[in-house]
Amino acid sequence: MFNSIGYTTRLAGTPCWPAGIDAQNLDMGDMWCNDPEEMKDSKFIILWGVNPAANSIHSMKYIYEAKRKGAKVVVIDPIFTETASKSSQYVQIKTGTDGLLALGMAKIIIDAKLHDQKWLDANSKGYKEYKAYLDKEVKLDDVSKITGIPLAMIKELALSFAKAKPATIWMGYGMQRHTNGGSMIRAIDALVALSGNIGKYAGGARYGHLNTWGFNYAALSQTKPEGSVGYSGPEGAKGEFAQVGGEKAAYTDRFLNINKTARELINSKEPKVRLLWVACKNVFAQDFDRNQLIRAFQQLDLVVVADQFFNETAKWADIVLPVTTQFEEYDVNVSYWHYWLSINEQAIKPLFEIKSDLEIAAMLSKRMNQLQAGSCTFPQSVDSKEMTIKEFNPAIYEQFGIQSWEELKKGPVKAKAVIPFADGKFKTPSGKFEFYSDKAQELFGSALPKYLEVRKPYDKFRMTSPHSRWSLHSQFQNLEWMEDFHPEPYVYINPDDAEAKMVSSDDMVAVFNRQGVLRLRAKVTDNVQKGTVLMYEQYYHNSIYNVNELVDDTSSDMGAFKTGAPGVALHDTFVNFKKL
Amino acid sequence: MQKAFLVDGSICLGCNTCAMACKNQYHQDQNVTWRKVREIGAEDYLIDNNNILPTLTSYQKAPKVSMPMERFYFSLACNHCENPACVAICPVGAHTKDPETGICKHDQSICIGCGGCVKACPFGASKFNTKMGRAEKCSMCWERQEEGKTTACVQSCPVHAITIIDLHDPKYKALRSDPIGIDYAIDAETKPSTRFIHPFMPKEIYRQAKG
Repeated sequence: MFNSIGYTTRLAGTPCWPAGIDAQNLDMGDMWCNDPEEMKDSKFIILWGVNPAANSIHSMKYIYEAKRKGAKVVVIDPIFTETASKSSQYVQIKTGTDGLLALGMAKIIIDAKLHDQKWLDANSKGYKEYKAYLDKEVKLDDVSKITGIPLAMIKELALSFAKAKPATIWMGYGMQRHTNGGSMIRAIDALVALSGNIGKYAGGARYGHLNTWGFNYAALSQTKPEGSVGYSGPEGAKGEFAQVGGEKAAYTDRFLNINKTARELINSKEPKVRLLWVACKNVFAQDFDRNQLIRAFQQLDLVVVADQFFNETAKWADIVLPVTTQFEEYDVNVSYWHYWLSINEQAIKPLFEIKSDLEIAAMLSKRMNQLQAGSCTFPQSVDSKEMTIKEFNPAIYEQFGIQSWEELKKGPVKAKAVIPFADGKFKTPSGKFEFYSDKAQELFGSALPKYLEVRKPYDKFRMTSPHSRWSLHSQFQNLEWMEDFHPEPYVYINPDDAEAKMVSSDDMVAVFNRQGVLRLRAKVTDNVQKGTVLMYEQYYHNSIYNVNELVDDTSSDMGAFKTGAPGVALHDTFVNFKKL
Repeated sequence: MQKAFLVDGSICLGCNTCAMACKNQYHQDQNVTWRKVREIGAEDYLIDNNNILPTLTSYQKAPKVSMPMERFYFSLACNHCENPACVAICPVGAHTKDPETGICKHDQSICIGCGGCVKACPFGASKFNTKMGRAEKCSMCWERQEEGKTTACVQSCPVHAITIIDLHDPKYKALRSDPIGIDYAIDAETKPSTRFIHPFMPKEIYRQAKG
């Protein structure tokens, strides 16, 4: 809709996975993971900073199958996660040192001559420089000291990973939400590459993919009204789904960093942002530094929130537009992880006066054109089924081996099997896997995946705020229904830290830092390591609990290259706590 | 035949999909959940808000175990006992034991809401629905099973941690009837049919040194 009224201010980027997307694009020219179902045939799986037992439950059956067939499943994580409890080996690492561990493992593998020289010769660029860096700068004693893992254990892990074929590493998104996050993903990519596991069935450096997303994006593609004037700043990526078109336009939208929403809204001048339209997002749940966000919202003249739920952002709105659920609409579904495609058919007609985002746009377009003809180019009536059909094209049909979208009514279909990079064609400038990346040098000041120290503490305890198994961001936990299964939030504290503060399980504690304060019940557990407190990112139906009260908006190292803005280092938040 | 749940604590993720599928299947009211995913090592039987305390039957504590918090679980609903206390106590025959399948069924249309079953069951399987003024419980989705489907919990489990077995099949004879780490009426006279696969910790665990 906003594409059809002229040029506007947009919040660009993503809080999800941007640093890792950049890292993978620098190394391989794409983010393109192997089919997760292949993991059943992997011989060695490292789940690195990822917790599928809570957050990708549908992937666990493949991991279990691999394990049943004799594969070793190693979990490297600062937290003893649900996944760690079901692994063959759990290795607790000091937070933010994963990149160094990967570099150390690489050095051990090369020293033992277990690297895949043949693959490296044919498919990589800069291996020599990378090896020289490992030889000169990476000292194994330091690796052990900084990661907090005994050297013998690192050696054993590195060698057994290198000997198993195929072996794979699945990297979590939490790991790149650090000030050195992108560099850590690059270091792990390099480890997988030198072991010869890239381009192999059941191998791969798994992070995600957008390989099955070749839709038409018809609703987005609107022409500007005649005479529209915009911003003449440089054009760049706007998000992971909206890459640069190529041609240089006279005007563009103005882009603000989505990971600094509060700060950017307050600071944007000429013109000042006066109206904020929020759709498909619960800003107050997901954006950082809640107290600054309140100030930002107070400065706006008008806030419109289109949402399925009356959430906290809706409470701050001047106008709330209830939108339809997936049960009331046609839609199409693909994944950034698996390779299936399915159609979502309308189950019931929309209830009451509820409208889809598209219908809202159409109705607004109709009214705007009544007031001033030609002021909005968006269609003045839409049908969600027709809009869904418009998304399909021959390339999608070819990829999924179907003739028509109608076939999807019989059930989901899977994309034709393909092993990413098996043909040795990488989309990097050199066409090879780049240990040494000129682009990385230009954008981030380091051509090699070098060890970068993580953010220094600014308070007593590190606070980590991973995703819980009860919710998907601000969704699901907000349902009253969920209270029967998981009624309230907790802060998880290591027994040593709890003892020092005389806190026991079920005590009420205040967790605070320079951003804000939260009051909640404690659980004392050595699932979290000493010096770290854990609170899940969750939003309850009848509670003001919001972990972003405490999270500041410090950027991670990467993200600006492919998503338009750096990610956010939300796991580099520091807090203190006391018993209430 | 004695149909029974086999719950595998070694692979259960604690995701609660089974309990939610059960709640969804029968549109259970707020505060009523027939199936409960119980955390091993965390006693919660005595503070089960869904249930009137089973004061009429004594129960034994299962052996205590020291397991990490919020990591290992047994998913439990009705145990479909061989000698069910609910059937014995029900004054109107709302609880019956199916002679063919061994499933303990509850018919809410007959139930008078006396609460006898809620008190008699050593496992707290019968729940009292205050809105309806009647009891309700897991009947092992017998209607679904008659249609050739499996139960909602079994169908929903993403890792097949719950299965339905026939206890009278000799190949299941060696399975354990005692869970660990949760309060449970082991060796109850009702002869619960649920069988357990015990969880275990990873073979190799490394944690950061203190200090």
